[in-house]
Amino acid sequence: MTSRIFKSILSAAVVVLITSLVIITGVLYQYFGNIQENQLKDELSFAAGATEQLGIKYLEDCSSDNYRLTWVASDGVVLFDSHADAETMENHSDREEIKEAFFYGSGSSVRQSSTLIEQTIYEATRLGDGSVLRISVSRASAMVLVLGMIQPIAIVLLIAAVLSAVLAKHMANRIVEPLNQLDLDKPMENDVYEELSPLLHRIHAQHMEIKKQMQTLKQKQDEFNQITSNMKEALVLLDSTGRILSINPAARILFHTVLSCIGEDFLKIERKQNIRIALEEVKKSGHSDFRDKKNGRDYQFDLSRVDSDNRDQGVVILAFDITEQVNAENHRRQFTANVSHELKTPLQSIIGSAELIENGIVKEEDLPRFVGHIRKEAARLVALIDDIIRLSQLDEGTDMPFEDVSLRVLSEEVCETLADAARLKNISLEVTGDDGIVHGVPRLLYEVIYNLCDNAIKYNKTDGVVKIHVEEKTNTVSLSVQDTGIGISSEHQEKIFERFYRVDKSHSKQSGGTGLGLSIVKHAVQVHGGKITIESELNKGTTMTIVLNKE
Amino acid sequence: MRNRFDEQLFELNRELIEMGAMCEEVIGLAMNALKTGDIKLAKTVKEQGSSIDQIERDIESRCMKLLLHQQPVAKDLRLISAALKMITDMERIGDQAEDIAEIVVSLNGSAAYDHSLIDQMGFEVIRMVTNSVDAFVKKDVDLAQKVIEQDDAVDTYFLNAKRSIMGMISEKSADGETALDLLMISKYLERIGDHATNIAEWVIYSVTGTHKGV
Repeated sequence: MTSRIFKSILSAAVVVLITSLVIITGVLYQYFGNIQENQLKDELSFAAGATEQLGIKYLEDCSSDNYRLTWVASDGVVLFDSHADAETMENHSDREEIKEAFFYGSGSSVRQSSTLIEQTIYEATRLGDGSVLRISVSRASAMVLVLGMIQPIAIVLLIAAVLSAVLAKHMANRIVEPLNQLDLDKPMENDVYEELSPLLHRIHAQHMEIKKQMQTLKQKQDEFNQITSNMKEALVLLDSTGRILSINPAARILFHTVLSCIGEDFLKIERKQNIRIALEEVKKSGHSDFRDKKNGRDYQFDLSRVDSDNRDQGVVILAFDITEQVNAENHRRQFTANVSHELKTPLQSIIGSAELIENGIVKEEDLPRFVGHIRKEAARLVALIDDIIRLSQLDEGTDMPFEDVSLRVLSEEVCETLADAARLKNISLEVTGDDGIVHGVPRLLYEVIYNLCDNAIKYNKTDGVVKIHVEEKTNTVSLSVQDTGIGISSEHQEKIFERFYRVDKSHSKQSGGTGLGLSIVKHAVQVHGGKITIESELNKGTTMTIVLNKE
Repeated sequence: MRNRFDEQLFELNRELIEMGAMCEEVIGLAMNALKTGDIKLAKTVKEQGSSIDQIERDIESRCMKLLLHQQPVAKDLRLISAALKMITDMERIGDQAEDIAEIVVSLNGSAAYDHSLIDQMGFEVIRMVTNSVDAFVKKDVDLAQKVIEQDDAVDTYFLNAKRSIMGMISEKSADGETALDLLMISKYLERIGDHATNIAEWVIYSVTGTHKGV
């Protein structure tokens, strides 16, 4: 800033100085030149008059240092010269001023010396006898004058330079000071040069824009953080070199790491082969996925490459917990296999009996037994299908009417129904406790109690006891079915609620039942938002307790 | 210039982790093959072993280049020299896993003897290798120290395995060849444990600058 101002001031000063110098020199030179010329003419006419009267004698007498007088005869031969020997001088008839004088009576000319340092002015006049008298004077040329002034000019220039430096500094400070004091954070509140206001407006507009963009960016970042930190899925972002850019809390738990791993190599937190292969594949094909067990759960890992402007920007790793899904798949597969098996067994038996009858192998008197067998197996099939339908209804969660119902009343109904079966094994059924009113689906609750009691009788010993106890608490009602039967060992306790699970697979046919009873119980209790617990000791008996909310 | 150096150190670190992970996997595979008598599995160990050799050469040349071109000092120099030592141990681990797999192939799935002790030993050795790689990844001196202590447990396992094999021979419950094969396997495992200990020692060196033998 200062140097720019300095330069412009200095150059202005120099230009002004030089132009004025040139103009003044030119004008003065012209003026003095004219005066000199007139003097010369006066001198010449005086000398011409004197020469006409006195001849060469005058010329010889009046030898002046200032002027040079030359007398040229009419044929151009030099008769006299005040500064040189006339004898040695050449013929002057071709000189301009002399030619003019011969012709017009007077002549003049100016000639530069060969070095341009001097200028000679000639004036000539014709005398009465036809000869010509010439006077000349030398003076310094304009350039010499200027050259002579170089020293003062240099001093002036130096002064100008110093002055303009001081001035420039001062001016720059004065111009810049308000600029320095501009508050760019609040551009519109400044009161400075008018010329700056477009700039300030622009800055203001950009300020606003940046602010807005920052806000949007922050909002986006917050949203992203909120979403990723609350999502159950593990999310890791990697840059193109494989360093971690972002890792959400779920992923930190999954990979047993802390937030400070950001910027580290992803292989540092997970180096298993399948993920390394997947990372390589994702670089090539843009996507890869695999399943893996981690921390005892099943995870599905999805890797995708992030491309932007056709450049590999990194990789997104998303891992979600598919344990439930895998379990459900396994269950479904097992269930399908079980169902087909369970359905096939009675049918095989029916086909067998029917074939025997068809081929006439069965004797007349055995026929009722075989037909009875077919009927029994068909009934078993129907019971099985009924159970499956009921289970699928529970799975579907079909709307069922909820109403207030007494568990005690239901238990007594169940006991009546099962009285015959109990009597066969000489088992006593007891119902004790409160009314136990709950809000539920009577049909399902009946089913629950029926299945529990049915099992309690089926897996009891002869002369055993089945106790049903209903107990009301502040918010809940519990119903327990206690038997004195064979009991269930702890390894089976978890699994008995699975479909078609049998503790003793070889005796399933003997005890009857479909293997779906407890599945139905579990589902029905879940529909009511209740819990089922089991306490059992081998050969001592089992107590199944369900706890239901009153509401 | 430095940036490029940092980038190369990062790559070196990554390759070391990869190689470590490969070693873990290859012993895991070999032990699995032994447990199940799966010959196909045992044969994949060989492929893994050759890729370990390949990565060893890669790391070696990378280390040499780094040493020549960058002339590292202090921590970086320790890392690179420790890397050069570690890859030798890792490569040996890979070789020994291959040897185990070869024995599994020659046993030809005859699993009619009790090798639960060797299985346990294998489990312990795999844990040692995993820990030593983890110690390298996390630059964790305590974990490395733990690996060195674990080696004693593996040595005890080896003695027990030797005794039980001697028992087998005297009871004639296994033929001589099988018994010797089992002894070889347990020896290999014991050696792998020693290599894991070496790795742990070099990890300690690269972090603290002191090595047991230096």
